[in-house]
Amino acid sequence: MADAYVHPEVLVSADWVAQHLDDPKVRVVESDEDVLLYDMGHLPGSVKIDWQGDLQDQLIRDYIDAEKFAAICSKAGITPDTTVVFYGDKSNWWACYAFWAFKLFGHEDCRILNGGRKLWFDEKRPTTTDVPTYAPSQYTVGARDELAIRAFRDEVMAHSKSGKPLLDVRSPKEFTGERTHMEDYPNEGSLRGGHIPGAVSVPWSRAVNDDGTFKSADELKGIYQGEVGLKPDQDIVAYCRIGERSSLTWFVLTYLLGYPKVRNYDGSWCEWGNLVRVPIAKGA
Amino acid sequence: MAAKLDAIIQELGDADRQERIELLIDFAKNLALLPDRLEKLKDAEHRVEECQSPVFLFVETDGKTVEIHADAPIEAPTVRGFVAILVEGLNGATVEEVLSVPSDLIEQIGLPEILGMLRVRGLGGVLGRLKKEVTRVAIVHQQNKTASL
Repeated sequence: MADAYVHPEVLVSADWVAQHLDDPKVRVVESDEDVLLYDMGHLPGSVKIDWQGDLQDQLIRDYIDAEKFAAICSKAGITPDTTVVFYGDKSNWWACYAFWAFKLFGHEDCRILNGGRKLWFDEKRPTTTDVPTYAPSQYTVGARDELAIRAFRDEVMAHSKSGKPLLDVRSPKEFTGERTHMEDYPNEGSLRGGHIPGAVSVPWSRAVNDDGTFKSADELKGIYQGEVGLKPDQDIVAYCRIGERSSLTWFVLTYLLGYPKVRNYDGSWCEWGNLVRVPIAKGA
Repeated sequence: MAAKLDAIIQELGDADRQERIELLIDFAKNLALLPDRLEKLKDAEHRVEECQSPVFLFVETDGKTVEIHADAPIEAPTVRGFVAILVEGLNGATVEEVLSVPSDLIEQIGLPEILGMLRVRGLGGVLGRLKKEVTRVAIVHQQNKTASL
Protein backbone atom coordinates (compact mmCIF):
# COMPACT_ATOMS: atom_id res chain seq x y z
CA MET A 1 0.00 0.00 0.00
CA ALA A 2 1.19 3.50 -0.78
CA ASP A 3 2.50 5.55 2.11
CA ALA A 4 0.29 8.34 3.42
CA TYR A 5 1.32 11.86 4.33
CA VAL A 6 2.57 12.10 7.91
CA HIS A 7 0.08 14.86 8.80
CA PRO A 8 -2.69 14.25 6.27
CA GLU A 9 -5.23 16.40 8.11
CA VAL A 10 -3.30 19.56 7.19
CA LEU A 11 -4.03 19.11 3.50
CA VAL A 12 -7.75 19.29 2.79
CA SER A 13 -9.60 18.45 -0.40
CA ALA A 14 -12.00 20.65 -2.30
CA ASP A 15 -14.81 18.31 -1.17
CA TRP A 16 -13.86 18.84 2.48
CA VAL A 17 -13.83 22.60 2.05
CA ALA A 18 -17.16 22.51 0.18
CA GLN A 19 -18.69 20.71 3.16
CA HIS A 20 -17.27 23.25 5.62
CA LEU A 21 -18.02 26.54 3.85
CA ASP A 22 -20.72 27.35 6.41
CA ASP A 23 -18.92 25.85 9.38
CA PRO A 24 -18.39 28.65 11.91
CA LYS A 25 -15.29 26.90 13.23
CA VAL A 26 -13.65 27.06 9.82
CA ARG A 27 -12.45 30.18 8.03
CA VAL A 28 -11.25 30.02 4.44
CA VAL A 29 -8.51 32.51 3.51
CA GLU A 30 -7.37 33.39 0.00
CA SER A 31 -3.78 34.54 -0.44
CA ASP A 32 -2.56 35.18 -3.98
CA GLU A 33 0.26 36.47 -6.03
CA ASP A 34 -2.18 38.52 -8.12
CA VAL A 35 -3.96 40.68 -5.61
CA LEU A 36 -7.00 41.29 -7.87
CA LEU A 37 -8.05 37.65 -8.10
CA TYR A 38 -10.04 37.61 -4.87
CA ASP A 39 -12.15 40.54 -6.05
CA MET A 40 -12.91 38.76 -9.32
CA GLY A 41 -14.44 35.82 -7.50
CA HIS A 42 -13.56 33.62 -4.55
CA LEU A 43 -14.85 30.77 -2.42
CA PRO A 44 -18.12 31.75 -0.70
CA GLY A 45 -17.40 33.09 2.76
CA SER A 46 -13.65 33.33 2.21
CA VAL A 47 -11.64 36.38 3.23
CA LYS A 48 -8.55 37.82 1.57
CA ILE A 49 -5.34 38.12 3.52
CA ASP A 50 -2.53 39.51 1.42
CA TRP A 51 0.97 38.30 2.29
CA GLN A 52 2.41 41.65 1.33
CA GLY A 53 -0.13 44.28 2.26
CA ASP A 54 -1.46 42.56 5.36
CA LEU A 55 1.21 40.27 6.82
CA GLN A 56 4.38 42.24 6.14
CA ASP A 57 5.40 45.31 8.03
CA GLN A 58 5.36 48.23 5.61
CA LEU A 59 8.40 49.93 7.16
CA ILE A 60 10.83 47.27 8.35
CA ARG A 61 11.50 44.13 6.30
CA ASP A 62 9.72 41.85 8.71
CA TYR A 63 6.28 40.57 9.57
CA ILE A 64 3.69 42.60 11.40
CA ASP A 65 3.65 42.53 15.19
CA ALA A 66 1.38 40.35 17.33
CA GLU A 67 -1.08 43.17 17.88
CA LYS A 68 -1.62 43.79 14.17
CA PHE A 69 -1.87 40.06 13.53
CA ALA A 70 -4.54 39.80 16.20
CA ALA A 71 -6.42 42.68 14.55
CA ILE A 72 -6.37 40.92 11.14
CA CYS A 73 -7.68 37.72 12.72
CA SER A 74 -10.31 39.58 14.69
CA LYS A 75 -11.61 41.33 11.57
CA ALA A 76 -11.87 37.97 9.78
CA GLY A 77 -13.72 36.46 12.73
CA ILE A 78 -10.84 34.09 13.43
CA THR A 79 -10.30 32.95 17.01
CA PRO A 80 -7.26 31.00 18.26
CA ASP A 81 -9.41 27.85 17.90
CA THR A 82 -10.53 28.49 14.32
CA THR A 83 -9.49 26.07 11.59
CA VAL A 84 -7.96 28.35 8.97
CA VAL A 85 -7.84 26.94 5.44
CA PHE A 86 -5.55 28.73 3.00
CA TYR A 87 -5.78 28.62 -0.77
CA GLY A 88 -4.44 30.72 -3.62
CA ASP A 89 -3.01 30.96 -7.12
CA LYS A 90 0.29 29.57 -8.41
CA SER A 91 0.04 26.09 -6.86
CA ASN A 92 -0.61 27.62 -3.43
CA TRP A 93 2.75 29.44 -3.10
CA TRP A 94 1.26 32.38 -1.33
CA ALA A 95 -1.21 30.22 0.56
CA CYS A 96 1.77 28.31 1.99
CA TYR A 97 3.49 31.59 2.71
CA ALA A 98 0.45 32.88 4.61
CA PHE A 99 0.17 29.50 6.37
CA TRP A 100 3.80 29.80 7.46
CA ALA A 101 3.24 33.38 8.64
CA PHE A 102 0.23 32.24 10.70
CA LYS A 103 2.49 29.60 12.26
CA LEU A 104 5.00 32.34 13.16
CA PHE A 105 2.24 33.71 15.37
CA GLY A 106 1.52 30.27 16.76
CA HIS A 107 -1.89 29.76 15.17
CA GLU A 108 -2.66 26.14 15.90
CA ASP A 109 -4.98 24.80 13.23
CA CYS A 110 -3.88 25.80 9.71
CA ARG A 111 -4.62 23.83 6.55
CA ILE A 112 -4.05 24.06 2.82
CA LEU A 113 -6.70 23.44 0.17
CA ASN A 114 -5.05 20.93 -2.13
CA GLY A 115 -5.03 22.24 -5.70
CA GLY A 116 -5.68 25.81 -4.60
CA ARG A 117 -7.66 28.35 -6.51
CA LYS A 118 -7.05 26.80 -9.92
CA LEU A 119 -8.49 23.40 -9.14
CA TRP A 120 -11.56 24.87 -7.40
CA PHE A 121 -12.30 27.07 -10.42
CA ASP A 122 -11.44 24.33 -12.93
CA GLU A 123 -13.94 22.05 -11.23
CA LYS A 124 -16.51 24.85 -11.51
CA ARG A 125 -17.30 24.81 -7.82
CA PRO A 126 -19.32 27.68 -6.32
CA THR A 127 -17.69 31.11 -6.20
CA THR A 128 -18.90 34.59 -5.41
CA THR A 129 -17.79 38.22 -5.56
CA ASP A 130 -19.60 38.98 -2.27
CA VAL A 131 -17.19 40.00 0.44
CA PRO A 132 -18.35 38.56 3.76
CA THR A 133 -18.25 40.43 7.02
CA TYR A 134 -17.79 38.63 10.30
CA ALA A 135 -18.45 39.76 13.83
CA PRO A 136 -15.06 40.76 15.24
CA SER A 137 -13.57 37.95 17.28
CA GLN A 138 -11.30 38.00 20.29
CA TYR A 139 -7.83 37.01 19.24
CA THR A 140 -4.81 36.94 21.48
CA VAL A 141 -1.50 35.72 20.18
CA GLY A 142 -0.42 32.96 22.52
CA ALA A 143 2.81 31.10 22.96
CA ARG A 144 4.89 30.99 19.82
CA ASP A 145 8.24 29.76 18.75
CA GLU A 146 9.20 31.71 15.67
CA LEU A 147 12.78 30.44 15.65
CA ALA A 148 11.63 26.85 15.21
CA ILE A 149 10.45 27.60 11.67
CA ARG A 150 12.28 30.79 10.72
CA ALA A 151 16.01 31.14 10.06
CA PHE A 152 17.95 34.40 10.04
CA ARG A 153 21.13 35.08 8.11
CA ASP A 154 23.63 34.46 10.92
CA GLU A 155 22.02 31.11 11.61
CA VAL A 156 22.08 30.30 7.92
CA MET A 157 25.78 31.19 7.82
CA ALA A 158 26.47 28.79 10.69
CA HIS A 159 24.26 26.19 9.03
CA SER A 160 26.16 26.52 5.75
CA LYS A 161 29.54 26.28 7.47
CA SER A 162 28.58 23.20 9.43
CA GLY A 163 27.47 21.42 6.27
CA LYS A 164 23.90 20.81 7.39
CA PRO A 165 21.29 20.34 4.66
CA LEU A 166 20.39 23.54 2.88
CA LEU A 167 17.79 23.48 0.11
CA ASP A 168 17.75 26.05 -2.64
CA VAL A 169 14.26 25.78 -4.15
CA ARG A 170 14.70 28.39 -6.89
CA SER A 171 14.87 27.59 -10.59
CA PRO A 172 18.10 25.94 -11.84
CA LYS A 173 19.34 29.14 -13.52
CA GLU A 174 18.93 31.12 -10.33
CA PHE A 175 20.87 28.42 -8.48
CA THR A 176 23.81 28.44 -10.87
CA GLY A 177 23.93 32.22 -10.84
CA GLU A 178 23.02 32.65 -14.47
CA ARG A 179 20.04 34.69 -13.35
CA THR A 180 19.26 36.54 -10.14
CA HIS A 181 15.51 36.15 -10.45
CA MET A 182 12.96 33.75 -11.80
CA GLU A 183 12.67 33.34 -15.52
CA ASP A 184 10.02 35.78 -16.75
CA TYR A 185 9.82 37.50 -13.37
CA PRO A 186 10.95 41.02 -12.64
CA ASN A 187 14.40 41.35 -11.11
CA GLU A 188 13.90 42.13 -7.48
CA GLY A 189 17.40 43.30 -7.00
CA SER A 190 20.23 40.99 -6.03
CA LEU A 191 23.70 42.28 -6.76
CA ARG A 192 25.21 38.82 -7.03
CA GLY A 193 23.98 35.58 -8.56
CA GLY A 194 24.60 32.08 -7.26
CA HIS A 195 23.67 30.13 -4.17
CA ILE A 196 24.59 29.74 -0.51
CA PRO A 197 27.63 27.42 -0.22
CA GLY A 198 26.57 23.87 0.46
CA ALA A 199 23.03 24.33 -0.82
CA VAL A 200 21.53 21.71 -3.09
CA SER A 201 19.10 22.63 -5.85
CA VAL A 202 15.60 21.18 -5.46
CA PRO A 203 13.19 23.47 -7.30
CA TRP A 204 9.93 23.91 -5.36
CA SER A 205 7.88 22.86 -8.39
CA ARG A 206 9.06 19.28 -8.08
CA ALA A 207 6.66 18.86 -5.16
CA VAL A 208 3.51 19.69 -7.12
CA ASN A 209 1.54 18.21 -9.99
CA ASP A 210 0.45 20.17 -13.05
CA ASP A 211 -3.02 20.71 -11.59
CA GLY A 212 -1.54 22.40 -8.52
CA THR A 213 -2.07 19.49 -6.11
CA PHE A 214 0.81 18.07 -4.12
CA LYS A 215 2.56 14.91 -5.24
CA SER A 216 1.92 11.70 -3.33
CA ALA A 217 3.92 10.79 -0.23
CA ASP A 218 5.78 8.13 -2.19
CA GLU A 219 6.77 10.55 -4.92
CA LEU A 220 7.85 13.17 -2.38
CA LYS A 221 9.92 10.62 -0.48
CA GLY A 222 11.53 9.59 -3.74
CA ILE A 223 12.68 13.16 -4.31
CA TYR A 224 13.62 14.42 -0.86
CA GLN A 225 14.85 11.21 0.75
CA GLY A 226 15.84 9.20 -2.32
CA GLU A 227 17.46 11.79 -4.58
CA VAL A 228 18.49 14.49 -2.12
CA GLY A 229 19.25 12.09 0.71
CA LEU A 230 17.53 14.05 3.47
CA LYS A 231 16.81 12.28 6.71
CA PRO A 232 13.74 13.16 8.73
CA ASP A 233 15.63 14.03 11.91
CA GLN A 234 18.00 16.48 10.22
CA ASP A 235 18.07 20.18 10.80
CA ILE A 236 17.06 21.59 7.40
CA VAL A 237 16.87 25.14 6.04
CA ALA A 238 15.09 26.05 2.80
CA TYR A 239 15.34 29.34 0.94
CA CYS A 240 14.42 30.91 -2.38
CA ARG A 241 14.32 34.56 -3.42
CA ILE A 242 12.06 36.19 -0.84
CA GLY A 243 10.88 33.12 1.07
CA GLU A 244 7.64 32.44 -0.75
CA ARG A 245 8.57 29.37 -2.79
CA SER A 246 10.55 27.94 0.11
CA SER A 247 7.51 28.19 2.38
CA LEU A 248 5.87 25.67 0.04
CA THR A 249 8.87 23.35 0.39
CA TRP A 250 8.82 23.95 4.15
CA PHE A 251 5.15 22.91 4.17
CA VAL A 252 5.88 19.75 2.19
CA LEU A 253 8.77 18.67 4.40
CA THR A 254 7.14 19.59 7.70
CA TYR A 255 3.61 18.32 7.16
CA LEU A 256 3.50 15.96 4.24
CA LEU A 257 6.76 14.18 5.09
CA GLY A 258 6.68 14.97 8.82
CA TYR A 259 10.21 16.34 9.30
CA PRO A 260 10.20 18.11 12.66
CA LYS A 261 13.15 20.48 12.17
CA VAL A 262 12.69 22.50 8.99
CA ARG A 263 13.15 26.25 8.87
CA ASN A 264 12.42 28.78 6.15
CA TYR A 265 15.04 31.48 5.54
CA ASP A 266 12.73 34.31 4.48
CA GLY A 267 15.61 36.73 3.94
CA SER A 268 16.53 34.32 1.12
CA TRP A 269 18.53 35.32 -1.94
CA CYS A 270 17.30 38.92 -1.88
CA GLU A 271 19.22 39.26 1.37
CA TRP A 272 22.14 36.86 0.86
CA GLY A 273 22.89 38.04 -2.68
CA ASN A 274 23.28 41.60 -1.39
CA LEU A 275 25.29 41.01 1.80
CA VAL A 276 28.84 42.26 1.81
CA ARG A 277 31.57 39.61 2.06
CA VAL A 278 29.36 36.57 2.53
CA PRO A 279 30.53 33.49 0.65
CA ILE A 280 28.65 32.60 -2.53
CA ALA A 281 28.93 29.52 -4.72
CA LYS A 282 28.32 29.62 -8.44
CA GLY A 283 27.55 26.98 -11.06
CA ALA A 284 25.80 23.65 -10.77
CA MET B 1 0.00 63.22 -23.74
CA ALA B 2 -2.83 61.20 -25.29
CA ALA B 3 -6.16 62.60 -24.13
CA LYS B 4 -7.72 59.18 -23.55
CA LEU B 5 -4.86 58.06 -21.34
CA ASP B 6 -5.05 61.35 -19.50
CA ALA B 7 -8.71 60.73 -18.74
CA ILE B 8 -7.92 57.23 -17.44
CA ILE B 9 -5.15 58.58 -15.20
CA GLN B 10 -7.60 61.14 -13.87
CA GLU B 11 -10.29 58.54 -13.23
CA LEU B 12 -7.97 56.12 -11.43
CA GLY B 13 -6.25 58.92 -9.57
CA ASP B 14 -9.55 60.14 -8.15
CA ALA B 15 -10.71 56.65 -7.16
CA ASP B 16 -10.26 55.23 -3.70
CA ARG B 17 -8.48 51.94 -3.12
CA GLN B 18 -11.47 49.64 -3.61
CA GLU B 19 -12.78 51.60 -6.61
CA ARG B 20 -9.34 51.38 -8.16
CA ILE B 21 -9.31 47.60 -7.70
CA GLU B 22 -12.73 47.38 -9.36
CA LEU B 23 -11.72 49.68 -12.22
CA LEU B 24 -8.62 47.60 -12.86
CA ILE B 25 -10.75 44.44 -12.91
CA ASP B 26 -13.14 46.11 -15.39
CA PHE B 27 -10.23 47.00 -17.63
CA ALA B 28 -8.96 43.40 -17.40
CA LYS B 29 -12.39 42.00 -18.30
CA ASN B 30 -12.92 44.40 -21.18
CA LEU B 31 -9.63 43.94 -23.01
CA ALA B 32 -10.64 43.31 -26.62
CA LEU B 33 -9.89 39.95 -28.19
CA LEU B 34 -6.98 39.84 -30.58
CA PRO B 35 -7.99 39.87 -34.24
CA ASP B 36 -7.56 36.41 -35.79
CA ARG B 37 -4.59 37.48 -37.91
CA LEU B 38 -2.69 38.44 -34.72
CA GLU B 39 -3.89 35.54 -32.60
CA LYS B 40 -1.79 33.35 -34.89
CA LEU B 41 1.29 35.45 -34.20
CA LYS B 42 1.45 34.94 -30.45
CA ASP B 43 5.07 33.88 -30.47
CA ALA B 44 8.23 34.65 -28.54
CA GLU B 45 8.92 37.64 -30.76
CA HIS B 46 5.75 39.37 -29.59
CA ARG B 47 5.96 38.32 -26.00
CA VAL B 48 6.93 40.85 -23.36
CA GLU B 49 9.72 38.97 -21.67
CA GLU B 50 10.06 41.36 -18.74
CA CYS B 51 6.65 40.25 -17.59
CA GLN B 52 5.96 37.13 -15.54
CA SER B 53 2.68 36.31 -17.28
CA PRO B 54 2.48 35.72 -21.01
CA VAL B 55 1.78 39.21 -22.37
CA PHE B 56 1.71 39.78 -26.12
CA LEU B 57 1.94 43.19 -27.74
CA PHE B 58 1.33 44.10 -31.37
CA VAL B 59 1.91 47.61 -32.66
CA GLU B 60 1.22 48.93 -36.15
CA THR B 61 1.49 52.43 -37.55
CA ASP B 62 0.51 54.37 -40.65
CA GLY B 63 3.23 56.88 -39.94
CA LYS B 64 1.00 59.17 -37.92
CA THR B 65 -0.87 57.20 -35.31
CA VAL B 66 -0.43 53.80 -33.75
CA GLU B 67 -2.75 50.85 -33.49
CA ILE B 68 -2.12 48.63 -30.47
CA HIS B 69 -3.40 45.12 -29.80
CA ALA B 70 -2.48 43.06 -26.79
CA ASP B 71 -3.31 39.92 -24.89
CA ALA B 72 -2.66 38.69 -21.35
CA PRO B 73 -4.30 35.87 -19.36
CA ILE B 74 -7.37 36.58 -17.25
CA GLU B 75 -5.76 34.50 -14.46
CA ALA B 76 -3.32 37.38 -14.06
CA PRO B 77 -5.83 40.24 -13.88
CA THR B 78 -3.34 42.82 -12.64
CA VAL B 79 -1.14 42.66 -15.68
CA ARG B 80 -4.11 42.19 -18.01
CA GLY B 81 -5.77 45.27 -16.50
CA PHE B 82 -2.65 47.35 -16.96
CA VAL B 83 -2.26 46.17 -20.54
CA ALA B 84 -5.90 47.08 -21.19
CA ILE B 85 -5.27 50.59 -19.84
CA LEU B 86 -2.40 51.03 -22.28
CA VAL B 87 -4.44 49.71 -25.20
CA GLU B 88 -7.48 51.83 -24.41
CA GLY B 89 -5.51 54.92 -23.49
CA LEU B 90 -3.06 54.87 -26.37
CA ASN B 91 -4.83 53.32 -29.34
CA GLY B 92 -4.94 55.96 -32.07
CA ALA B 93 -2.38 58.15 -30.31
CA THR B 94 0.59 59.53 -32.22
CA VAL B 95 4.05 58.00 -31.94
CA GLU B 96 5.19 61.07 -30.01
CA GLU B 97 2.29 60.76 -27.59
CA VAL B 98 3.16 57.16 -26.77
CA LEU B 99 6.83 57.99 -26.29
CA SER B 100 5.95 60.87 -23.98
CA VAL B 101 3.95 58.68 -21.57
CA PRO B 102 5.64 59.36 -18.23
CA SER B 103 7.69 56.49 -16.86
CA ASP B 104 5.94 56.91 -13.52
CA LEU B 105 2.53 56.13 -15.09
CA ILE B 106 2.20 53.17 -12.73
CA GLU B 107 2.56 55.46 -9.73
CA GLN B 108 0.25 58.06 -11.27
CA ILE B 109 -2.60 55.59 -11.54
CA GLY B 110 -2.01 54.48 -7.97
CA LEU B 111 -1.01 50.88 -8.61
CA PRO B 112 1.79 50.58 -6.01
CA GLU B 113 -0.76 51.40 -3.35
CA ILE B 114 -3.00 48.48 -4.27
CA LEU B 115 -0.38 46.07 -5.58
CA GLY B 116 2.68 46.76 -3.44
CA MET B 117 6.08 47.67 -4.80
CA LEU B 118 7.19 44.12 -5.56
CA ARG B 119 4.26 43.47 -7.82
CA VAL B 120 4.40 46.59 -9.96
CA ARG B 121 7.96 46.07 -11.19
CA GLY B 122 6.97 43.70 -13.96
CA LEU B 123 4.40 46.18 -15.23
CA GLY B 124 7.07 48.76 -15.98
CA GLY B 125 8.44 46.26 -18.47
CA VAL B 126 5.17 46.33 -20.42
CA LEU B 127 5.29 50.11 -20.84
CA GLY B 128 8.98 49.96 -21.77
CA ARG B 129 8.30 47.27 -24.35
CA LEU B 130 5.38 49.25 -25.81
CA LYS B 131 7.59 52.31 -26.31
CA LYS B 132 10.30 50.18 -27.92
CA GLU B 133 7.79 48.58 -30.27
CA VAL B 134 6.29 51.94 -31.23
CA THR B 135 9.76 53.29 -31.97
CA ARG B 136 10.61 50.20 -33.99
CA VAL B 137 7.48 50.23 -36.17
CA ALA B 138 7.80 53.99 -36.70
CA ILE B 139 11.37 53.55 -37.97
CA VAL B 140 10.40 50.60 -40.18
CA HIS B 141 7.53 52.63 -41.61
CA GLN B 142 9.85 55.54 -42.33
CA GLN B 143 12.41 53.25 -43.97
CA ASN B 144 9.78 51.65 -46.18
CA LYS B 145 8.53 55.07 -47.23
CA THR B 146 12.05 56.20 -48.07
CA ALA B 147 12.73 52.99 -49.97
CA SER B 148 9.61 53.35 -52.09
CA LEU B 149 10.47 56.87 -53.16
